[in-house]
Amino acid sequence: MPVSAEYVARETASNLWRNRLMTIAAVLTVAVSLSLVGAALLLKQGATRAEAEWQRGTEVMVWMKPTASTNEIGAVGKQLGALPYVVHPCTFRNHMYDFFEAKRLVGSVWGEAGVTPKETPTSWRCTPVHPQDATAVIREFGGQPGVLVVSAPLTQIRTEQHVIEILQWVFLLVALVLLVSAAVLILNTIRMAIFARRREVSVMKLVGATNWFIRLPFMSEGLVQGLLGSGVAAAVVYGLHVILDRLGSSTSGSVLAQMRMTGWEVFVTDVIVVVIGVLIGTGGSAIAISRFLDV
Amino acid sequence: MIRFKNVTKTYKNGTVALRDVSIEIEKQEFVFLVGASGSGKTTLIRLLLREELPDSGRIWEAGRDIVHLPKWRVPYLRRNIGCVFQDFRLLPNKTVFENVAFALEVIGRPKHVVANQVPQVLELVGLAKKRDNLPSELSGGEQQRVAVARAFVNRPLILLADEPTGNLDPSTSQGIMQLLDRINRTGTTVVVATHDEVLVNWMRRRVIELDHGSVVRDQARGVYGIEGAPAATLGPAAAVSPAATLNPAATLNPAATLNPAAAVTAAGAPSGRVPAVAGARRARGQERG
Repeated sequence: MPVSAEYVARETASNLWRNRLMTIAAVLTVAVSLSLVGAALLLKQGATRAEAEWQRGTEVMVWMKPTASTNEIGAVGKQLGALPYVVHPCTFRNHMYDFFEAKRLVGSVWGEAGVTPKETPTSWRCTPVHPQDATAVIREFGGQPGVLVVSAPLTQIRTEQHVIEILQWVFLLVALVLLVSAAVLILNTIRMAIFARRREVSVMKLVGATNWFIRLPFMSEGLVQGLLGSGVAAAVVYGLHVILDRLGSSTSGSVLAQMRMTGWEVFVTDVIVVVIGVLIGTGGSAIAISRFLDV
Repeated sequence: MIRFKNVTKTYKNGTVALRDVSIEIEKQEFVFLVGASGSGKTTLIRLLLREELPDSGRIWEAGRDIVHLPKWRVPYLRRNIGCVFQDFRLLPNKTVFENVAFALEVIGRPKHVVANQVPQVLELVGLAKKRDNLPSELSGGEQQRVAVARAFVNRPLILLADEPTGNLDPSTSQGIMQLLDRINRTGTTVVVATHDEVLVNWMRRRVIELDHGSVVRDQARGVYGIEGAPAATLGPAAAVSPAATLNPAATLNPAATLNPAAAVTAAGAPSGRVPAVAGARRARGQERG
């Protein structure tokens, strides 16, 4: 016998209202638990974005001898342009640019050392597709005609990469642990709500209700609780994004600025949170009710 | 209608609830199951509801072997069985009407059938005016009437009652028993597990006595104890109550006739005063059969 949608809707509404304290408890449990899960997911995504931002800023510099000929500079540029593991195009910086950059970075020392713009080396600057590809560029161009030196912040690359990997794993682990504890907490809350109504279930069984007839209103209640709770959690996640975004925009160059995410990424996180909430609510109810159905 | 063949049931703690029980109950019969607490009455009812399975033996209900019934068919079996319990088992959040309607809703009866049948059966049990009350607003007797109405609303083949009068005063108990008798006259087989000596003796229906899980007596038009036994003496001196008059019109709405042929005054139906009970519980177990 198919269970009528009207029956399920009516029972769901009346049971949610009748057991409103339990409903509030379940919704709050879902909301708090999934807010934490969502925040962890958001921070993991932020770390991924920060890594991408940082990778974009990693440059390998092929320093040309100040005396390098135009042909030598051109040949190196042509070779760089053919490399599959660097982002194209590579940029050429002339004597003047490098001179003033050096002055900006090391101050007057550069000028006091008596180095003139003409004596300052020119350079090719490329962004490797992956930071670790910088090593290949160094190997390829070190000792080529006209090349003074090839440099890349290798130690920094390794350290930052390591830190970001750890951060991503930590956030992922935190999200998973929170997810499991949220699932257990939500399941327990739903179970308590159903335990309080086990007598009702036994009456339903006695008058010949099928398991699905009993299960569906409970699952529907779980669905509503999951939706409400995860809706609140999604709002909290969005709020956290707004706060991080504001902090990031006011501190350019900081980690928070690098972690700034697009609206789409936050939307995806919110969708994940809502889907988890709905699955835990519905599935949790189905699991919790099953032990009372075997009468 | 009901057949037990060599049924034995032992619980996990080692208690033998039923021991090689074989009984047959025909269609439209009214049977009392009597016996001391722990004699196996409730287990027998639970087996009929397929809440338990026997260790050995077979049980047929309405021609169906219920021991080998697949689990998913059990709800459909229960739709042919009405149940009444000592503790009423009403849904506290539903009104009288909703409680009764629930039994029809569960089996997918359309709305117009529910709207038609529920008032009829509430009329039968004399609760038409309390259809919008919650169980907590009713007396024990009224709650049991709702339970009976719920058990009967889909016209089951069998109605099982486990101590239906256990929580009720004598006069209310009579009303409930009268109701069950009336339902029996519509063709429903009624099995009542009870300790109520007064009612069993008054009704004079078939009595099956259980003792430590075995059938020790099966008596047509029987009494609670053994007829003639000194402890089961009935006498006017120990009248239960002057108010305990069994008059169908006094307790049931005369308009609530399920079937004109099912008049309570039919032959063999209880009428008049309840036989009085004298003294303590009878000595038991001399007659076996």
